[in-house]
Amino acid sequence: MHGHVAPQQNRNTATGTGSGETTKEPNMTAPQWTISIDAGGTFTDAIARSSAGVIREAKVASTPEDPSLGLRNAVAALEQQGVLLPDVALVCHGTTVATNATLTGALGRAALVTTAGFRDVLGYRQQNRPDVYSLMPRRPAELIPRVLRFEIDQRHDSAGRELAPVDREQLDEIIAELREAKPEAIAVSFLFSYLNDAHEREVGDALRGAFPGTPVTLSSEVAREFREYPRTATTAINAALRPIVEAYLGRAGAALAASGVGSPLLVMQSNGGCVPAERAGADAHRLVLSGPAGGVAGLAALAESLDEPNLISLDMGGTSTDVCLLRGGAIPFTTVQEVQDHTLLAPTVDIHTIGAGGGSIARIDRAGSLKVGPASAKAVPGPACYGRGGVEPTISDAHVVLGTLGAGELAGGLVIDRDLAEAAVRRIAEPLSMSVEEGAEAILAIGLAHMVRAVRKVSVERGLDAREFSLVPFGGAGPLHAGLILRHMALKQAIIPLRPGLFAADGLLVAGLKLDSSQTVLAEADPERIPEISAWFDATAADASEQLLRDGVGEDRVVFAASADCRYRGQGFELNIPLDGWDDAELLRLPERFHAMHEERYGHSNAAEPVEIVTVRLTTTGEIDRTRERVAPVPRRDLTPEAVVGHRDVLLPGYGRTRTAVIERSALAAGTEFEGPAIIQQMDATSVILPEQRVRVASTLDLIVTEPTRDEADR
Amino acid sequence: MTAVDTVTFEVASAALQSAAEEMGSVLKRSSYSPIIRDMDDFSCALFTAEGDLVAQADYIPAQLGAMSLVVQAILRRWRDRVSEGDAFICNHPYQGAMHLPDVNIVTPIFFGGELIAWAGTAAHHIDVGGVNPGSEGPELGELYGEGVVIPPIRLSIAGEENEDLVALFSENFRDPLSTLSDLRAQRASCHLGAERVHELVALYGVDELLEVMQRMLVSVETTVGRLLDGMADGAGEAEGCLDDDGRDGAPTRIHARVEKRGGRLSIDLSGCDPQTAGAMNIPWASARAALVYAVRTVIAPGVSANDGLLRVLDITAPEGTVVNPLPPAAVSIRHNSCQRLADTLIRAMYGIWPELAVASSQVSFFSFNIGSTHPRTGAPSVMADVVGGGTGATALGDGLDGVDTYMANVGVMPTEVVETNYNVRVRRTEFRPGSQGRGAFNGGLGLVREYEVLEHPQHATFYAEQTDARFAPAGAAGGEAALPTTITVIGPDGAVIDQPRKTSRVLQPGTIVRVETGGGGGYGDPAERSEELRAWDEREGRFASPGRNSERPAHAAAAAEPTERN
Repeated sequence: MHGHVAPQQNRNTATGTGSGETTKEPNMTAPQWTISIDAGGTFTDAIARSSAGVIREAKVASTPEDPSLGLRNAVAALEQQGVLLPDVALVCHGTTVATNATLTGALGRAALVTTAGFRDVLGYRQQNRPDVYSLMPRRPAELIPRVLRFEIDQRHDSAGRELAPVDREQLDEIIAELREAKPEAIAVSFLFSYLNDAHEREVGDALRGAFPGTPVTLSSEVAREFREYPRTATTAINAALRPIVEAYLGRAGAALAASGVGSPLLVMQSNGGCVPAERAGADAHRLVLSGPAGGVAGLAALAESLDEPNLISLDMGGTSTDVCLLRGGAIPFTTVQEVQDHTLLAPTVDIHTIGAGGGSIARIDRAGSLKVGPASAKAVPGPACYGRGGVEPTISDAHVVLGTLGAGELAGGLVIDRDLAEAAVRRIAEPLSMSVEEGAEAILAIGLAHMVRAVRKVSVERGLDAREFSLVPFGGAGPLHAGLILRHMALKQAIIPLRPGLFAADGLLVAGLKLDSSQTVLAEADPERIPEISAWFDATAADASEQLLRDGVGEDRVVFAASADCRYRGQGFELNIPLDGWDDAELLRLPERFHAMHEERYGHSNAAEPVEIVTVRLTTTGEIDRTRERVAPVPRRDLTPEAVVGHRDVLLPGYGRTRTAVIERSALAAGTEFEGPAIIQQMDATSVILPEQRVRVASTLDLIVTEPTRDEADR
Repeated sequence: MTAVDTVTFEVASAALQSAAEEMGSVLKRSSYSPIIRDMDDFSCALFTAEGDLVAQADYIPAQLGAMSLVVQAILRRWRDRVSEGDAFICNHPYQGAMHLPDVNIVTPIFFGGELIAWAGTAAHHIDVGGVNPGSEGPELGELYGEGVVIPPIRLSIAGEENEDLVALFSENFRDPLSTLSDLRAQRASCHLGAERVHELVALYGVDELLEVMQRMLVSVETTVGRLLDGMADGAGEAEGCLDDDGRDGAPTRIHARVEKRGGRLSIDLSGCDPQTAGAMNIPWASARAALVYAVRTVIAPGVSANDGLLRVLDITAPEGTVVNPLPPAAVSIRHNSCQRLADTLIRAMYGIWPELAVASSQVSFFSFNIGSTHPRTGAPSVMADVVGGGTGATALGDGLDGVDTYMANVGVMPTEVVETNYNVRVRRTEFRPGSQGRGAFNGGLGLVREYEVLEHPQHATFYAEQTDARFAPAGAAGGEAALPTTITVIGPDGAVIDQPRKTSRVLQPGTIVRVETGGGGGYGDPAERSEELRAWDEREGRFASPGRNSERPAHAAAAAEPTERN
């Protein structure tokens, strides 16, 4: 059997968590500097780490009209801090280019070639309406207009047998029409191509020959899975994103080269792993969650570094909050997501997103109830307290009224104005006959309820005991709610990372290179079919390692994770069953594992029924850089007076006006322990600790916050 | 309302809502039948101890508006004998259910020995016995032929599955494995709902949670009452017709008169025709669901859905009419009548508030049931498919293309699912250009789908409404009506056999059934459609198909082509 089969606990970890001693060996070709850059909606964050352990940070304004300018500015800011750009060995990049293109519909102009009679599948999709109670529905976004959807006679049956060959005459006509239409990319999706891709390849070859400069995407290459709509939509999303992503990555590479960086550029994919920029374009649909994936990769690294395998992230920005649950150090994945009215099949970190962020707006609805979000003040005009024209009250304004956010300067040069925050909160307080302070408490309480519900959704609602999990709040607004969430939910503790505002950027650096392969099998799990399946794993693993070796990954750093999507024959959805390797014995154990997981997940199983293997999957990870330190015991020490930079009165929910110490994070030494209430401030975030909660500074300088006794906090 | 009350209510009611949604995802992902798992023909909800629906997952309004009557029917029969671990099953259209394939599974939720709530699911099963595969038949005159009638009885008794019932079902249903597995998935979904309610009791206390449930009802009642109060008083009426009575007879009249005074709305259905000879009758649970749906969409689309809404309605629906039939009248095609009723009620309300009007969506609800076999295993199974059409245009824009409408939201069965599971080939599924009603904004497009029967003769039941141009989807504010729906049956020799409206028959291999569904009605004067939209219509081939489609042989010729078979 293959030599690099990963132990099961390593499955799906982009960082190869806990994969053993081989990763600790010093690499002779170790880079002098590695840089990671996370280009978000408001800020572009960058971190450089040297092999000598030096760390440099930069935060510059993002440039949405051309994000590569922000990249250049961030690199320049690092250079000013002494990072020698010619000595940079690697740049990792998280980008929202694909996310924004799908959200705004500013997609490339793609064409589709499909089985005759089925070009409109992109129009009727699955025939469902998103809101059954609306008589004034919004028309769904269109991936490829009807005029660019072409049909060709060809057909396979449900066993993959050819019913009709590709009509070459029609193909010539389509090529002639495409010459006129001049699309920027072409998608090809035929019925049953996941079973037999011969026709797609035949047509693909002809199109690639006829249009050498135009990217051509085959559905059997990007989404070799059952059901024509999701497969065609995924292929179309890929084609429509490709021109945009490839152009951007070209500009980004040029911007870095112009700055003097000569190293390869890696791009974070939605699956929490990186891929070289020159290959990222071909898989453009896999970049849709590139941004948040960095935070999740960082979470996995934190789990390893703190030896805390069970974590729940709370990545809170201005308009939304991403929550992700890490269990046993493994990043959770989903293979299906909804992207702007369409279904996208791509391995994606499983993030639950809610429309509650610092900028979420509070309003009174028609029934007289107070609602918070999902409307947001966004970056423009921003919360009222920023003084940039916002008048409606937001969660940030509530914090300013309560004093948890102090007047003063924020990252990015914004100044907080308390009077504006009060005026905004009064808009909801007066109609509810509340004081401004009560209004602020109510806004925060409801906003907090959304956050708690999101944390419950990924934990308790999936049958997991939240008391075994630590909350990791990051992003600009996450740490503000660390103490409050800890008080409202029975969690193990909260861990506020060293650089909450730069956490996602930092995560990019520790993510490895990653390749995902899958194949629909649709066979019963019987001994006859097993050799064929293990042969697929063998061949795919060999191809993937070869690819990673070409990308510069050391042979000893390639890790495989195999799994299979299974169901009872007759069911329509599958459960993903992790495999410990893929020898025959392991594959034969699949039905038994499936029955157990079906029972655990859905509360019933049927051991007498045949189990079908629908899709087999192999994830190949190549580790590139491991510089995060491990937590170590550190002697306890008291809070030094220098760390306390002042005191202010804060209205802490449940405590009333409370004199609270304001602590400077950078002055906190490892081992320091103290009790709340406390406001901990740093360049990129503010953390709020409630009375009686204890804070301990780990050797890694992450803050560990605990409740005094769990029993009390359960209620 | 104090701040704390507002917050607790907000948080706990949202948690009940999310529990209902979670029930839906468990059912969808662990069920067997494509009609549940791929097409979403199911619903999940939580109820008070007395059977008022408080929280639901928004799947199929036609089922949701009805489910509380099932809970009430269970209470009538079992009131003091309900015990923990029971799971009730019911599909009886005259005891709270809708038509026989929609089977309800409902479980009581106890706390400290007291019944505090119910969790319920309704799902469309592919077959529950009867004369026709799929348990539907427009021609049938009595309930008894439609399938096995299940009054509210116990599928599980105190946690143990009722073996007798399982044995009875196994001998009466055509695909017992799928059906029994789907029933178990429904029961698992109810258990999950109960578990979530217990967690909320632990979190907030039982009295507090029950108070929240009552307030959810009151909140909807108050909100809808207030919204009504803020609207102009007045009366309106509308008429809509079914093409026939289910047996090729005369059209059946559906009529609604609505009157709004202050915070109340009265609805009078006494203008509807007597119950029909065929299976077009709407059992009361379904008619009630149509009222709830129509009122919510016109008056309170943003308000959460629960039974609080019913409290502001005064309803007249005489027994013995098509909207409140007497047993044992057949009801299996009730959904088509129900969609027609929803459309008629909505148009009656526009009589009071013309400024709210939108054009009508198509209500053909083409359904295709066929007793087939699995191509790989040869095992018998029943396929149930539904093909949507266009929605009505509005003052804001064109309608939606190719969707299910109003009270249903069923997906179309993916072609790869059809061909993998049944000996049926889908020859095409595409837009039907020109089917939309014209206006300043046009209706959405209908669909064309062709099924070809493979391998062996197969018994099929298929039917549609709005095949009669007089009853096609209406325009609004000067917009035009859409095209009616057409069904065409083409024999193995390529010759058209007939164009039935509603039929049950055996189809020989090589036979093709083609449906062309209606679009949505247009809104506003067609002369006022902008140049920009006209150019888009032209470019996108929305009235005719330029380019490749026009070169495809005409429909009849396509059917005459030899069919490949393996």
